[in-house]
Amino acid sequence: MIRRLPGSGRIALAVVLLLWIVAAVSPFFRGRAAEIRLGERLQPPSLVHPFGTDDLGRDLAARVVVATPISLAIGLVAAAMSLAVGFGVGGAAGYLGGAADVVLSRVIEVVLCFPVLFLLLALAAFLPPSPATVVLAIGLTTWPADARYARAEILKAKSLDYARAAKAAGATPARILLRHLLPNALPPLLVSAAFGVSWAILAEAALSFLGVGLPAPAASWGGILSAAPAYIEEAWWIALFPGLALFATVSAYNLLAEGLRQATTNPE
Amino acid sequence: MKIRRLLAILVLAIACRAKEDAPRPAAGARPDPTAAPAPALGFLDESREGTPVEGGVLRRRLIGEPATLNAVLQSGLPEQQVLQYVSRQLVDFNPLLALVGNLAQRWTVSDDGLEYRFFLQPDAVWEDGTPVTSADAVFTIRRIVDSKVPSPVFKPLFESLEVIEAIDPTSFRTRFRDRDAFHAYAFALPLLPAHRFEGQPFLKARDNRAPLANGPYRVAKWKTQQSIELERNPLWKGAAGHFDRIVFRIVPENSVAYRALVEGDLDETWIDEPLKERSASDPRFQSCCRVVEFYNLDYNYIGLNNRSPLFSDARVRRAMTMLLDRPAIVKSLYAGSARIISGPWAPDSPAYDASVTPLPFDPHGAGELLDRAGWHDSNGNGTRDRAGKEFEFELLVSAGSNAGRQIDEIFAAELLRAGVRARIRPLEWATFIERVDSGAYEAATLGWAAADPNPDPFPYWHSSQFPPRGLNSSYFSDPAADRLMEDARHELDPEKRRQIYHRLHRVFREDPPVVFIANATQKYAFRRRVHGLVTSPLGLFGFSPGPLSWWGTPDEDVAATRK
Amino acid sequence: MIAYVLRRLALAIPTLFGIVVLVFLLLHLAPGSPASAVGSGESGRRVSAAAREEMRRLYGLDRPLPERFARWIGRVARLDLGDSFVDRRPVSARIREALPATLALNGLALFFTLAIGIPIGVAAGGRPEGPFDRTSAIVLFALYSMPVFWAALLLQTLLSVKLGWLPLYGVSSDPPPTGLAGVADRLAHLALPVTCLTYASLAFFARLVRAGVVEARSQDYVTAALARGVSRRGALWRHAFRNALLPLITLLGLLLPGLLSGSVIVERIFAWPGLGRLYFDSILSRDYPVVLGLSLIGAVATLAATLAADLAYAFADPRVREGS
Repeated sequence: MIRRLPGSGRIALAVVLLLWIVAAVSPFFRGRAAEIRLGERLQPPSLVHPFGTDDLGRDLAARVVVATPISLAIGLVAAAMSLAVGFGVGGAAGYLGGAADVVLSRVIEVVLCFPVLFLLLALAAFLPPSPATVVLAIGLTTWPADARYARAEILKAKSLDYARAAKAAGATPARILLRHLLPNALPPLLVSAAFGVSWAILAEAALSFLGVGLPAPAASWGGILSAAPAYIEEAWWIALFPGLALFATVSAYNLLAEGLRQATTNPE
Repeated sequence: MKIRRLLAILVLAIACRAKEDAPRPAAGARPDPTAAPAPALGFLDESREGTPVEGGVLRRRLIGEPATLNAVLQSGLPEQQVLQYVSRQLVDFNPLLALVGNLAQRWTVSDDGLEYRFFLQPDAVWEDGTPVTSADAVFTIRRIVDSKVPSPVFKPLFESLEVIEAIDPTSFRTRFRDRDAFHAYAFALPLLPAHRFEGQPFLKARDNRAPLANGPYRVAKWKTQQSIELERNPLWKGAAGHFDRIVFRIVPENSVAYRALVEGDLDETWIDEPLKERSASDPRFQSCCRVVEFYNLDYNYIGLNNRSPLFSDARVRRAMTMLLDRPAIVKSLYAGSARIISGPWAPDSPAYDASVTPLPFDPHGAGELLDRAGWHDSNGNGTRDRAGKEFEFELLVSAGSNAGRQIDEIFAAELLRAGVRARIRPLEWATFIERVDSGAYEAATLGWAAADPNPDPFPYWHSSQFPPRGLNSSYFSDPAADRLMEDARHELDPEKRRQIYHRLHRVFREDPPVVFIANATQKYAFRRRVHGLVTSPLGLFGFSPGPLSWWGTPDEDVAATRK
Repeated sequence: MIAYVLRRLALAIPTLFGIVVLVFLLLHLAPGSPASAVGSGESGRRVSAAAREEMRRLYGLDRPLPERFARWIGRVARLDLGDSFVDRRPVSARIREALPATLALNGLALFFTLAIGIPIGVAAGGRPEGPFDRTSAIVLFALYSMPVFWAALLLQTLLSVKLGWLPLYGVSSDPPPTGLAGVADRLAHLALPVTCLTYASLAFFARLVRAGVVEARSQDYVTAALARGVSRRGALWRHAFRNALLPLITLLGLLLPGLLSGSVIVERIFAWPGLGRLYFDSILSRDYPVVLGLSLIGAVATLAATLAADLAYAFADPRVREGS
């Protein structure tokens, strides 16, 4: 499949791999990222501090690096959770049909139309602000879209010839699902996953920015950005660099997703 | 590829501008933060400088929209700021924190200290011509104590009220169940016109949005979410305000208000430390505006729940204080414009004893105290423990508080070096305050904003005032402190009371209930056209004359300073 | 078909009920109450727990949950959303005041998403892998990947603070100019918020239009049209685009409510007095009636949009009709 990725997709894959490498080496920077030096607050980028320092004198570059695994991990886990729940519920609804479909579709609809902001703030009030809470918050609000998509795909696939033939031949529902429907759903699943990751990373950043994400000092990029507006005029670097990291990551995942989509649908 | 080049140009452009605006050190005196609290940063009194110019518009900033303009129902600062122009109080505080008469010309206290009588000014009138009478006062105070009326600001002050009744149209008497030196302070409140609320449910009366004025100004227009405009009250006979109109604009974000001030859309705004630093190196600000800075009675602290096994030992609480590098915080987060405190008052409060020095920043000494209290790292995991319990706790902070978060991060870093693990947890305000007020916390970053000069620590630190009944959410309990607080309450002689408070202050140093941090300055930015400012430990308003003494040179100056 | 429509409408009712019950539960189970939210942030007057209890009773919060819910539903049935806890004015009044600002913002955002997104998508899809398609792909991906608050901060810094071209915040200057200058003033104030709200959905939409056009182009009816001698442009717009329209309507249905909730961040940054800001502030101050009212309206709007999209899709694709 990698061979079938267009040029932009390959670049995106390289960027994603680079990000993972940065995430892997980030523990070496933890000490530097936590070092509070009140005498060096809000210093512009220099040789010693390539991204400048933040409002407590910590090296911003180190903080951005240390935030990488946090942002990436939350993005991946949230997207995986959203995908799993979404495809599970949506697939079941599409496959089972009848009353089960009606009920499950209502559940999907309720969560889909539920006021997102309200849910996030309520969760932030109830649960301790940990990565788990953020993952839960993002996952809970994004799975319905995947569910609807999965349901529509399964419905389409159910009516196709090979599925009907398998059923006529006496295959069990599980076998039909695993052997026939799922392999065909896999490529769109991957595409959806990649888009889901970039969306989750953006959502986590927005939550941290609003103040309901991860607590300091274990900040993600969005968390670092939440301190930026107060210093927007004197310390533009606090806004620029974490934002760039976010932007680069999200773009990479989006390009990768688009590349995957092209790679998996083109020959058809 | 195009987008990447665009970004590079963007970054370069911003970088070039940034070099020009490199921050210069802020001008002005920097009090030495390590010494005992220095004398107050001068209080302004420009009320006698220059000749006031009459007329013009004053544009002030509100940090939020008033929920109501009903004096009894008010709950926040924006309401107080608007009402000060429109509604006169029975008594006021003057800039020196003394009580002076306003609507009430004089008052008497009975010998047993339980009964207060007030004698009103005979010729005060409401905007519709009806006279202000004792019936209005009785109506107002009866509504305050009414259990069906939420009056968060005044209800606690009248808790022990027994009787209130009018004697004649210009006087009324009140009787309290207990003897408290500060009962008189409760009467620094505006009155409501009783006749306007007849036949209407109190909570939804028309007057709550369009109050009847009895002061120098009246409400002309209220544009929801945007602004409130005041104009002169034609029936006002006293000393008039200098401006013809006051416009309050609602601007929730500080940096936006700062920008509006520099652009000429506002004449006054509260600013925080980062904005003050920005103004020092902003040439546009320097040419149009000035910063007014002074100390008030507010201070911040890190609350510790004394009932928690971690913080029940006074030695541990002293160690906690010694582990917070307050001099460095004052120097870098406040640029020197804060004074470290050693007790639950600001240095300008009459109760504060300047000779009681704050506990020093001493990590070594703190370590020894923790050792003596029994906290050692017996399992070698880097954190102290005692009887199987690790020394780790949750440090709550309000999600919107940037300064609180910064202090917490500095504190947590130092605590870690001393073998104590603090987990900083930001909570949104309503959740935060609920946890603190009900005692469901271990440590919390808090601020104390004094609404009046009452230094009485009883409701907050006496052992009979634990939640839910009282506000002693630290669960502090010290018999010596209790006795002193009770004595002070009953002592009507101010000088003797001061002595009691000073003794109490020494107790608080040895047995600190919480980690007292500092009393920071209040900072406001004004356009230069505004003159006649008076500041006091109560702030810029909340005392008499407050903003009524301000006057301004004509608006043409505004156009001149605009680019 | 009619039967399907009626069925979907009937099924929407339990959904609405489910949403409303969930919101009600979460709201009342969340810690904090209207009394604790009093004097948020700076004010120092703290309210004792006993005083808070008294306020709870005043607001009727000590009654059992089912009773409170029944009361609220009863009022809603009479189209009465109750009074706000904060200023005791009718919830409907507060919503009505904030509505124009949000409609202006979201309406313009939607308009530009369509007005700019569709032509870009059609042009890119008309000649896939061509120069326009490649450049637009990168630009659109960049736009789609930029966090809203970051873009807002950068735009504010550049266009407002450094260059002074556009105002920093608010709906209009104070006092607002009249006549033509007034219109220009309002447009200037709308520029930054609308841009921030539009760019991401525009990028997404344009890419989808492109994909739809590419797919439709390769269908037989387009080749047939071209063979018949229809001009290239005519084939693109009249045939390919028309058939790409249906999935787009589906997505519009999901886009609309997304815009309404996405505007919270934009409204906060630009001090825009709209529904998003009202919603956020009401949650923070535990203004239950306003939160419930806005949640209800939001849920109805989202449901309506989803339903419309579903019906359009079902109209085109009979398989979906049978499946449900």
